[in-house]
Amino acid sequence: MNEKKIIELKSVAKSFDGEVILDNIDLDVYEKEFITLLGPSGCGKTTTLRIIAGFVTPDNGDVMFDGVKINNVPPYKRSVNTVFQKYALFPHLNVYENIAFALRLNKVSEEEIYERVEEMLAMVNLKGFEKRDVNLLSGGQQQRVAIARALINKPRVLLLDEPLGALDLKLRKDMQNELKNIQRKTGITFIYVTHDQEEALSMSDTVVVMANGKIQQIGTPTDIYNEPENAFVADFIGESNIIDGVMLDDYRVKFSGHEFNCLDKGFAKNEAIDAVVRPEDVDVVEPEKGMLCGIVDSVTFKGVHYETIVTINNFKWMIQSTDYVAPSQKIGLYIEPDAIHIMKKSEFSDMFGDYSSFSDELEHLSDITEEEEERE
Amino acid sequence: MKRKAASNIYTVLVFIFLYMPIAVLILFSFNSSSSTGRFDGFSLRWYRELFSDAATMNALKNTLILAVLSSIIATVIGTLAAYGINKMKNRHLKGGITAVTNVPMMNPEIVTGISMMLLFVFVGGIINSKTVLGFGTVLIAHVTFNLPYVILSVMPKFKQMDKHLPEAALDLGCTPMQSFLKVELPQILPGIISGFIMAFTLSLDDFIISYFTVGSGFETLPIRIYSMTKKRVTPDMYALSTLIFVVIMILLLLSNISGDKEKKTLTLKQKKRRKIAIISTFSVIAATTLGLFIGTSFTEVVTVNVYNWGEYISDGGEDEDGVASVDVNKEFEKYYSKYLSEQKGRKIKVKVNYTTYASNEDLYAKLKAGAGGYDVIVPSDYMIERLIAEGLIQPIASREEITNVIKNYDYLLREPSDGETMTKEETEIFQKPFYDNGEDVYSVMYTYGVVGIIYNADHVSEEDIGGWDLLWNEKYKGKILQFNNARDAFGTAMYKLGVNVNDPTAEQWQDVLNELIKQKPIVQSYVMDEVFNKMESGEAWIAPYYAGDALSMIYQAEDRNINLGFYYPQNEEGETVTNVFADAMCIPADVSEEQKAHAIAYIDFMLSVDENYGSPAIANAEYIYYASPNRMVYTNSSYLETLDGDEEIIYAPIENNIDELFNTYAYRNLSSKNLATLNSNWETLKVESSSFNGTIYIISAVIAIAIIAFIVFIAVRRKYRRKLYWEQSPIAIKKASKNTPSDDLSDTVTIAIKRSKSNKD
Repeated sequence: MNEKKIIELKSVAKSFDGEVILDNIDLDVYEKEFITLLGPSGCGKTTTLRIIAGFVTPDNGDVMFDGVKINNVPPYKRSVNTVFQKYALFPHLNVYENIAFALRLNKVSEEEIYERVEEMLAMVNLKGFEKRDVNLLSGGQQQRVAIARALINKPRVLLLDEPLGALDLKLRKDMQNELKNIQRKTGITFIYVTHDQEEALSMSDTVVVMANGKIQQIGTPTDIYNEPENAFVADFIGESNIIDGVMLDDYRVKFSGHEFNCLDKGFAKNEAIDAVVRPEDVDVVEPEKGMLCGIVDSVTFKGVHYETIVTINNFKWMIQSTDYVAPSQKIGLYIEPDAIHIMKKSEFSDMFGDYSSFSDELEHLSDITEEEEERE
Repeated sequence: MKRKAASNIYTVLVFIFLYMPIAVLILFSFNSSSSTGRFDGFSLRWYRELFSDAATMNALKNTLILAVLSSIIATVIGTLAAYGINKMKNRHLKGGITAVTNVPMMNPEIVTGISMMLLFVFVGGIINSKTVLGFGTVLIAHVTFNLPYVILSVMPKFKQMDKHLPEAALDLGCTPMQSFLKVELPQILPGIISGFIMAFTLSLDDFIISYFTVGSGFETLPIRIYSMTKKRVTPDMYALSTLIFVVIMILLLLSNISGDKEKKTLTLKQKKRRKIAIISTFSVIAATTLGLFIGTSFTEVVTVNVYNWGEYISDGGEDEDGVASVDVNKEFEKYYSKYLSEQKGRKIKVKVNYTTYASNEDLYAKLKAGAGGYDVIVPSDYMIERLIAEGLIQPIASREEITNVIKNYDYLLREPSDGETMTKEETEIFQKPFYDNGEDVYSVMYTYGVVGIIYNADHVSEEDIGGWDLLWNEKYKGKILQFNNARDAFGTAMYKLGVNVNDPTAEQWQDVLNELIKQKPIVQSYVMDEVFNKMESGEAWIAPYYAGDALSMIYQAEDRNINLGFYYPQNEEGETVTNVFADAMCIPADVSEEQKAHAIAYIDFMLSVDENYGSPAIANAEYIYYASPNRMVYTNSSYLETLDGDEEIIYAPIENNIDELFNTYAYRNLSSKNLATLNSNWETLKVESSSFNGTIYIISAVIAIAIIAFIVFIAVRRKYRRKLYWEQSPIAIKKASKNTPSDDLSDTVTIAIKRSKSNKD
């Protein structure tokens, strides 16, 4: 990956009607990178994208492109193109003309337009669709036209605003692969917005997790998954058991009334922390062999594994295991030191963690509608 | 099956109801005679006549220019407004502005029209222009009332449009302007086109707003047609209406096709074909407009603005036998161009701007409002009296000077017939009529006429005719018509009772009213123009009307083998007692000295019998049928030949006692007290007269009460239903449980469930 910064956001802030949407965001985007802005609706990810595209002017802070401040450069003068959520294809033009639109504006010769449009159509697997009415295409086909249209001008950066949101699951998986391929082939920087964590993890070089108008964590997909920085990230990426605990000493933590060995250090003595244990990292053992003991509340078959809910000290643990245990049975839990990840307390502590509560909390966050997010 | 047949029949009935009148109109536009009751064979005569009628064609041209310009301007402004409103961020402001733009649409046209006129005249007063009303003001007015319709049809297109489209365009490199033209415009185009077509058709047929905001020298088609109702609507108007209907049909079809854009199933070929159709229509419209504009030349033009009654001048139209009459205005243009060019030594073109009105009151309203720009007007006697009193018309010349100013003025002197002697007053009766006999001459008489009674000679026996009492004759119950205007209707009773028509006592007013109330049960209806059809078709037998019109009714009825007669009612002493009226040419007070010279030339020309210019005075008399005060006319042998004895009808009573008629029986300007009495008595009579008044009120009341009862029923039922399920909600159950003596929650729940079950049943 190239280490040259192409876009920099420097303490960018934006609020609408007094409501803070972006709270001093700092973000660097490198050349040829596939970077994903991930977060629930209303977290400010789309606004960030629109600031980069030039549709929204930040209240504060700078947007730099190649080291040049572009705060007041209008969208049509930025070498950035966007793939919109609902594609925004021009209904009065056919497939060919939609894709050729940007070239015609630049007064490119007809021969060159033909060549480049054909090239684009080949890339998005739409050869032979030139004369089709865009309104009669399927969602996936429209998506490809939108990508071809945005890429034909060879932008330095392509912005994608939840481009797969309207597609069904199967098509979505295919398009994920295709997008990744296109990005690799063209070497164009992709800034991708989504609320789907799986999409983010599987496609991106870098994931930026956002919530409440702030960046919570920036990192590679593995970093984000394995070493979440706070309860929000831990909860939003994958499933987690987040338990209140106390750091007794370096490599020693206490939660659920039991002391564990762990791999984390550098906390103050007896500092209150959040401990994360991924459900797949918990081993089910005989009650007497377990570090913790509890009664099974419920078991759900999920295909690859069973999802077992166990109550211990009023905390509902989620365990993903291939072993079946019957409800009401007493079982023991065994947790390896490397399965425990310790996080500093944050504004999100206590909002998540217990399996019984987290989905409600998330719903509350999702309540902020898209429309609000996109207001100008 | 039965149900389907019934619904088909219903559909057919609806279509008949909607399109029958238009079908009849189209049919009769191809009628070879002017009859409205009988189809006498196919002919294109009325179309021919329509296209040879210069004034109507001019009005048509004006209407088209106005409609095209106003709808284009309104479309541009309206589209931009819709764009702006759509971009607004403040929702309340947006809603407010949308509501405000919609208000003019709800506003009654009359309010818009009057307020516009007031504004224009007010502004005209500020910039000190007397002729502010004209093409510009109608154009502004039309743009104004078209705007909301354009906005209304464009706005939804903006709302339907994906709001990311303009962003996508910007993103791909469009400037905001390019984005609007290349991306947004194509999306809202169907809305723009249907808005344009709507504006065009609205502007095409607008009458009320045009009527108030138009000044001299500009007449639209609807105004022209309306003013023709002084006489009868001639069949060439059927032809015109047919043409307009066809054009609007085509426009509507086009707008429907362009509206079909929603259906995405059209192939590209179809789209292309449609595009061609739309473009060609617009280019035809644009080319016509352009052509009409270029048609005006650049020579020096003198314009004379004449404001006259509809159908009140010989206008070049064909008569019953297809013989073209003299176009007097054209002849004047010819004559006066030559005269002025010779006098000034350079080429000067004269143009007569001839516009028309339908009543003295319309004319008065225009003048009073300060809507100037007319050089010659033709009000009636009592109105002239009023205009002089209010200083709205200016003297043409002093009485000593008048013969030097109007060269043909002495044609108005009466000549005693063989062996008869006449006093000076008697010979000057047309020069010094009661309404204008002061030091200065304000008016030059154009025509005069007498009210008489027209009757169906096949049904009305000879011994019953002679007096006003024929209108009260029980024998002809249901066959009698009466004037549908206060002054003339009360006049008939006043003449019958021998009351002074210009200043009755309170007691006499009451008698007259009683007389008319007494007449009511035998009156078929109160009419003005409908009198022509009713008498010509034999539907009614007896009607009071004006002599000139009576003559044209008699001619028409002859074609249908109906014999109509006409007489001037006399009192018991054998004197003719009826209304005499005169229409005379005047010059409004605001006419400049320069324009006044042209106005005088026009007035003079109207008296002239110069054969080189088609003998205008005689041509008019032959065309209008009203009596002419011009002795060169009524002594002209070819004119008398044309009338073929009917001059008896037109002139006879006047020969005998013109002075008395003029001085005793003519309508004078009523005092305000008398005018008020007249109007309130007229109200009383009309309310009394409406045969359906009782029933219609009762029916309306019953319908209104039924609607209210229905609404109340719906509201009560909804409330009742709500009450039931509110009681079943958990809150209600808890409350209910507190009240139950057993205090057992489950009991209450069961009750609630039971209740809900019974509710379902």
